[in-house]
Amino acid sequence: MAKSQKTSVGRRGFLKNAAAGAAALVTTTPLVEAQGQSTATGAAPAGGAPAPTQAQLAREAGNVRPPLAVRSITRPGSDLMVQTIRDLGIEFVAANPGSSFEGLQESFINYGNPPNQMPEFITALHEESAVTMAHGYAKAEGKPMVALLHGTIGIQHGAMAIYNAYHDRVPILMIAGNDPDFIAAHTAHDMAGMVRSFTKWDAQPKTLDEALRAIQRAYNEAITPPMAPTLVVLDSELQKDNAGSATVPPYKPPQFVTVDAAHAKEIAKGLVEAQNPRIAVGRLRTPEGVKRAVELAELVGASTSTAAANGPMSFPQRHPLCGPGADTAYDYTLGLEAAGAQASITGPALAKIAAPRDPGNIGFGGLGGGGGRGGRGGGANAAAPIEADAEASLPLIIEEVKRQLTADQKTRIQERAAKHARANHEARVAAITQAAESKRAGWNGVPISTARLYSELWPLIMNEDWCLSSPSGFSGGHNVQLWDHNKPYSCLGGQGAGGMGYGAPASVGAALAARGRNRIVVNIQCDGDLNYAPGVLWTAVHHKLPVLTVMHNNRAWHQEFMFVEYMAGVRGRGEDRAYIGSTLRDPYIDYAKMAAGYGMAGEGPITDPSKLSAALKRGVTAVKRGDPYLIDVITQPR
Amino acid sequence: MKKQSNSHWFVVVALVALALPVTTLNAQGGRGGGGGVGNNPAPTSPVTGNAANGKPLYFSYGCYACHGYNGETGARPFVGRWGNLATEDGFIRFLRGRANVAPITPSTSMPNFGEGSLPDKQAKDIYAYIRTFKSSAPELKDIPTLNTIIDASKQEKK
Repeated sequence: MAKSQKTSVGRRGFLKNAAAGAAALVTTTPLVEAQGQSTATGAAPAGGAPAPTQAQLAREAGNVRPPLAVRSITRPGSDLMVQTIRDLGIEFVAANPGSSFEGLQESFINYGNPPNQMPEFITALHEESAVTMAHGYAKAEGKPMVALLHGTIGIQHGAMAIYNAYHDRVPILMIAGNDPDFIAAHTAHDMAGMVRSFTKWDAQPKTLDEALRAIQRAYNEAITPPMAPTLVVLDSELQKDNAGSATVPPYKPPQFVTVDAAHAKEIAKGLVEAQNPRIAVGRLRTPEGVKRAVELAELVGASTSTAAANGPMSFPQRHPLCGPGADTAYDYTLGLEAAGAQASITGPALAKIAAPRDPGNIGFGGLGGGGGRGGRGGGANAAAPIEADAEASLPLIIEEVKRQLTADQKTRIQERAAKHARANHEARVAAITQAAESKRAGWNGVPISTARLYSELWPLIMNEDWCLSSPSGFSGGHNVQLWDHNKPYSCLGGQGAGGMGYGAPASVGAALAARGRNRIVVNIQCDGDLNYAPGVLWTAVHHKLPVLTVMHNNRAWHQEFMFVEYMAGVRGRGEDRAYIGSTLRDPYIDYAKMAAGYGMAGEGPITDPSKLSAALKRGVTAVKRGDPYLIDVITQPR
Repeated sequence: MKKQSNSHWFVVVALVALALPVTTLNAQGGRGGGGGVGNNPAPTSPVTGNAANGKPLYFSYGCYACHGYNGETGARPFVGRWGNLATEDGFIRFLRGRANVAPITPSTSMPNFGEGSLPDKQAKDIYAYIRTFKSSAPELKDIPTLNTIIDASKQEKK
């Protein structure tokens, strides 16, 4: 690292000065002795990193005071790092503190006018929560925020969440500190190595200029298909040293791979000339992609399918053209991030980048192409997918469609669209009526049916701008049938890799996106999932996030309970012992009290179904006011 | 960590086949728990077990896991369907039918309940408890919330 000895306030120098300064002020021997040890090299145990010295531990514990006179740094490198992040339009950075990024943290909270905005520092209580917040935010907004991680230990705390996000193809810009001159256990020559198998790109730059460019590159890599978390490791000296004459390099947005002109023309021709075209829409990248998909469907009067009830960024579920339409004999199908159509445009698969970055083969062999997370085109004569970004390709196709459409075709398309709209409307009313009929099963049963929970909640939010941030599969998935998933962020879907501890922090991330946009977030929270890192409830309160948490409290990791019960049955013994290790009994957990402990308003446990609706109303009222709220509902298992 | 292998999801989806047939999910939903309300009358066949003893057994043997606490919810509700629950003997035969064959053919994901793990006496007590179950479902017209949802669906979407 090129650095000026004159301007450097390195760790060792700091500790040395600190020792002198503190010794001058304090005469009690323990501190002086602790300082004295700071210059000693920690003895490395055989085969391992040296343990921290007493001085280092004292420093971590905050027992070392700053020196009386330190060199003033007025333009630290970390200011430029924050400016780079700000220029990328990043709204939030989530972290719990770590000494390896203290320079950067100081810039996040103090640099700029006004400071601590774009991005705003969000206080997490666990790195897993910080990364999962970024996961939920990205799914709601279609763009990354920053998760800031402490060197080595913070990355390992966040690893599970990174793994989820990677599998879910979610862009997150992660930054980790590295502090080579301080605690050896918090440093690494190849910091990203421990999570390289499930990050898309990483860098550990050696100069400030490289660091700034690495942040820009990491952002671009994260948002380019296949989207995934990326990681930049920033040495503490780069953060704290004077930036000198360095400036933020000009930013170049990424280039997205699109269909070529010939493909665009051919697809447009297929849609325009078809008597009954269909567009299957999987998961696009951003809300802009959804807008373009709607524009194309309306231009050509195509019936559409959607993945909007299972995840974000797909076609509005209740759009008049969404559904089977008036005629299910489709003669041309286009798949947008959905395989199996006559023309399927799907982004590159994660497996392509996993191969060189995952030498341990920890589970990405089965990852498929873009269709894996989207719908199926379902058309006859399915062709091999075109590997391109569907969202970036849409403007080309739309332009070509507009060029090809004749007045007669426009008239025919309008008539067809009207027929589809009528048919879809009738089908929708019939389907919801049938679904409602089915949901009355167990309506007055105790404990409360999950169907009733989703049913009671829907009328309270249907006229709001809402986001269902949690996976709903474990709680019955009743929203799929009853609710209208019409916005890109209506339903954020599952965890990605099935890692638990996801719902609450992802919801906090979604609520970061919602705050200030007059949107509310609903989190149907599984009880087992919440207990991984419940401290994120505090984050919701601290930052005044509009998230309503409704506990699906079945007092178990219920899926696992059923697995174990089944296994006992196979072996012909002890189904009555399946609860061991898979249920949350003796004692039951009181989630309203847990929320109260973190400062969150709430109520429960509620077991009487007749009391549910009023509680939900109180909760919706609170979050519309901007106050997070938790309702503990004791439910049927599923 | 949740397991997501195909075999496990098969278990999730197909878990427990006490009450047949399975209600068909509606065309636009695709997913969604529970199977709706069955209309078959409750059995009237003899019951020899003790329902009071059966109540804790229904819980401890995990019947509630897939059928709900009241037999109306979960992967396979049985109230209003009854199927294999028509008679006590039929119920026990169903429990034992594949005690030594795992998994049974034709396939079902209902756990085996061999006599070694669930003796006849307890099985009869559970059956007696199950026979006390009644539907708690009001008529659709009497549930304002669900009618609000249906009415909202009738509004034309833009």
